[in-house]
Amino acid sequence: MTDPMPAETLLDVSALPCGADVDALLEQAARGRGADWDAHQLHCVHCQAALSELTVLWEPVAELAAVPVAPPPGLVAAVMSQVRRLVHDVWYTLEVTEIGAVRIAARIVAALARDSARAIPGVRVALGRSTHGKVAALAEKASFGHRHPDAAVGVLGRTAVVDLAVAIGYGDPAHLVAREIQRQVTDTLREQVGLRDVTVNVTIDDVLDGDDDR
Amino acid sequence: MKAAAQAATPVVSDAYLVARARDGYLDAYELLVQRHSALAYRVALRLTGNHHDAQDVAQEALTAAWENLDRFQGGSSFSTWLYQIVTRRALNKVTRGGDDRSLELLPERADPAMETAEAAERDFKVDAVTDALLALPFAQRTVIVLHHFEGLSYAEVASVTGATEPAVRSHLFRARRALAKTLEEWK
Repeated sequence: MTDPMPAETLLDVSALPCGADVDALLEQAARGRGADWDAHQLHCVHCQAALSELTVLWEPVAELAAVPVAPPPGLVAAVMSQVRRLVHDVWYTLEVTEIGAVRIAARIVAALARDSARAIPGVRVALGRSTHGKVAALAEKASFGHRHPDAAVGVLGRTAVVDLAVAIGYGDPAHLVAREIQRQVTDTLREQVGLRDVTVNVTIDDVLDGDDDR
Repeated sequence: MKAAAQAATPVVSDAYLVARARDGYLDAYELLVQRHSALAYRVALRLTGNHHDAQDVAQEALTAAWENLDRFQGGSSFSTWLYQIVTRRALNKVTRGGDDRSLELLPERADPAMETAEAAERDFKVDAVTDALLALPFAQRTVIVLHHFEGLSYAEVASVTGATEPAVRSHLFRARRALAKTLEEWK
């Protein structure tokens, strides 16, 4: 005795008795348009029954697609940690004495400058960069002869160059905002890091209006 | 206060941030990572089927995007480019991983209120779809995830996968039918 043949289902055929393509109907159901009947479907019981069945079948897929997926909390930090390892890290050597050297990473200087700039009215976005790669290489080369033997690779002295790319709000006076950034960032780096000579280059490269808020 | 709050919110385009990141502004890249880490993880999760592989894939993809930023042409959006990297990394991971992968698709829920009969029923359905999705060949799974889960158009899926639009359409027809067939059998 042989097992009975399983009943043929809608998905075992390529077309309905009316000639409608099952894949096209499945696509329609998957788009959530199972109830949006065209002229033929309005009068076709085969199509209406198939669309109803396929819509129910696809429902759990749509439900899964709608489940929100949050990234793991440490993902951004993990990525940026790896990225920073890939970047040639530049150090400012603030002080070299008999008991050792005091150094600070250029990226920390850049972050302090950026945060200081972001607090200034009119500034919408501020991105910080301290000592661009090529400039850093030249500065390191220039200061190499003066470097204390205990100091690691870096720019010797209490001097820093910070570049800030800034977007301001539409209508804000660019020159006044830029000067205020230079003043406040300079103060911040002098007070918080102990840098003496600070050069703050401000590039205003975008102007945003209210519609740009997201 | 308002200005400071606005300044902390990214309001600039991805293209602007990509350009600044290329100039060496790590801040700009960090903003891009903050914006797109959810996308990278979500797609990786759907394609690999488990949380740990998804985290690895997302992290690798976002780091690889930084390393290859100079090669990003800007002809497509940053997110399309990231989709490409994530799907390639996910394929590598799945190929290396064999068949002993956990089927855990979502991280554990912390909210006990979700543990109702209704939620259990939904979890069952979600698990069934997850299994059905993972049973598809990788290429079919990819087009389903990109089109039906991420909402990408045929043209965008074609751009991500490197296939032609008719090929994407054909893959989708086969994938939808295979997925629906599996769900039908499990009803």
